Amino acid sequence: MSAQGPFSSAFPPSAGFLKAWVDQAGAFQDMFARLVDQSTGAMPPMPPPNLAPWKDFVDRMGMGGFDPAQLLPGAPALGLSREYQETAARLLDLSKQFQQRYAEFAQRNAAIMQDAFHVMKKRVDATPQAPKTPADLYDAWIDCAENAYHQAAHSDSFARLFAELCNISSAFKVERGKLTEQIARHLDLPSRAEVDTLHRQVRALYEAMRAAAANTGAAPSSTTGSAASGRDQHRASKAPRKPRKRARK
Amino acid sequence: MSTAPDSLAEMLQSAAAMQESGRAVLRTLLGMGDGEVGTSEKHCVHSEDKIRLYRYSPLARSANLKPVLICYAMVNRPYLLDLQPDRSFIRELLLAGLDVYLLDWGYPDGADRFSNFDAYVDGYLRRCVEFILKEQALDSLTLLGVCQGGTMSLCYAALEPKQIAQLIIMVTPVDFKTPENLLSKWAQHIDVDLLTQSGNVSGDFLNLVYLSLMPFRLTQQKYVNLLQLQGDRVQLENFMRMEKWIFDSPDQPATAFREFIQWFFQENRLIRDELALAGRPVRLKNVTAPVLNIFASKDHLVPPSASIPVGAHIGAKDYQSLEVDAGHIGLYVGGKTRKSVPAAVAAWLQKRR
Repeated sequence: MSAQGPFSSAFPPSAGFLKAWVDQAGAFQDMFARLVDQSTGAMPPMPPPNLAPWKDFVDRMGMGGFDPAQLLPGAPALGLSREYQETAARLLDLSKQFQQRYAEFAQRNAAIMQDAFHVMKKRVDATPQAPKTPADLYDAWIDCAENAYHQAAHSDSFARLFAELCNISSAFKVERGKLTEQIARHLDLPSRAEVDTLHRQVRALYEAMRAAAANTGAAPSSTTGSAASGRDQHRASKAPRKPRKRARK
Repeated sequence: MSTAPDSLAEMLQSAAAMQESGRAVLRTLLGMGDGEVGTSEKHCVHSEDKIRLYRYSPLARSANLKPVLICYAMVNRPYLLDLQPDRSFIRELLLAGLDVYLLDWGYPDGADRFSNFDAYVDGYLRRCVEFILKEQALDSLTLLGVCQGGTMSLCYAALEPKQIAQLIIMVTPVDFKTPENLLSKWAQHIDVDLLTQSGNVSGDFLNLVYLSLMPFRLTQQKYVNLLQLQGDRVQLENFMRMEKWIFDSPDQPATAFREFIQWFFQENRLIRDELALAGRPVRLKNVTAPVLNIFASKDHLVPPSASIPVGAHIGAKDYQSLEVDAGHIGLYVGGKTRKSVPAAVAAWLQKRR
């Protein structure tokens, strides 16, 4: 380590780090100040400041300001790719809706935290003795936060906002599925719709087999074993396996 | 609040101790795996698609009672009931001389997305009950339903009252629209048709919803509290087993999940006597077997108000409820309740032999 030390202003990387730290701290201070004012613009702008370089990059590439939905708002999709245009427009619209609702949700949560801070401050002010440990202080904060959240979460407006987020997200998944279907067809890959048809047919066959087995008094179409034979099987080999996680996004 | 130097010094000292404890926790966690779960010996006696019916090996002289079939919820894995040898609801039942079967719903996947709620209650559950009755040459058994599995068990007991000698329901929602039920409030505005249109409902989504019920305690405090365990290996192993279970949530078959949310959460059909399964009405009045209803006073998932009303709606003359001072999960693994609850179940069954 140099004599100047890693955080000296003469050490270029640390100077940059310190500046970034101060800038970030300033941004947080600003955000909390606005939160305290309970102003409507309390949430950080979208996109967040740390994405600004990307926005600059996009602008420099001549792609800035492009918004297909705003190009000809309300105009019908035309031409060979009209179905793709429609799906893309719906996905874009749903993304925007989700962003708006999520901003509302984040704002709602910020207000809950603010309420919790107020309750915590009152509680601390009313207590002559300091908490004995940081854990006591932390637990008191969690109590306040959870109580404030509990009150808000039981309200109808919170339930509606929560559901809207879920519903928009579901609609997005449906639209994305349509797009994936189209791509699968083009690549001659089995599509979800085809797999669904097969699953339905297999299920119908199973049901028919069970009904036939019930009518003839035969054993049902399942793996059965006596207790004795089952005992010999290794427990783990018979346990349902958890499927490997797939990327969901 | 006092900010006297003594108090501050005490706080700083405590913070330093916590930091040291945190290091010890980390050291212990680094060399630790997930920990084995579901350790009681069992063997698969019947399987069908994803489901498995297990029978546990006896651990004590038989109490000569009807076999007990445990019907667990589909939304979580059933090994919570047999988490580890010293925290095992099932093991305690076995030690009381009971013959225990467990219905494990497995991990549904895309092939199950069109399986409806009928298929699970009137299909898989029915065939498991009938398998046991045939295997043991009996005409009835004891059905023990847990959480959503309790609701399914109630439905089955209403459809087939003669096959059920005793019914035990644990932390089971029956009235889905009580003011304390946060999960239900959120479910009212969810478009479940849309949610399930693109396939099964992921376990991750369900976990997110569960965590959102108490976000500060469940996503922050419990991990901070880990620091207080001082690197105690046994306690940390317990913690990790529970952590594994909490996030081991199977995806839910789309059609059955849609029907469950719409019929039970949104329309409250069961308690309103409006439910039909397999083309037959499900009437709680038809539940005539003795019923033991166990609920937890601190349950944030199924509040007591969701469970208690069952007594007023079933046809059973022999009805008993047991309120336990615990949460939804603590009922099975909590310090006192992990022994007292199975003991109460065994005693209740003994009286009705």
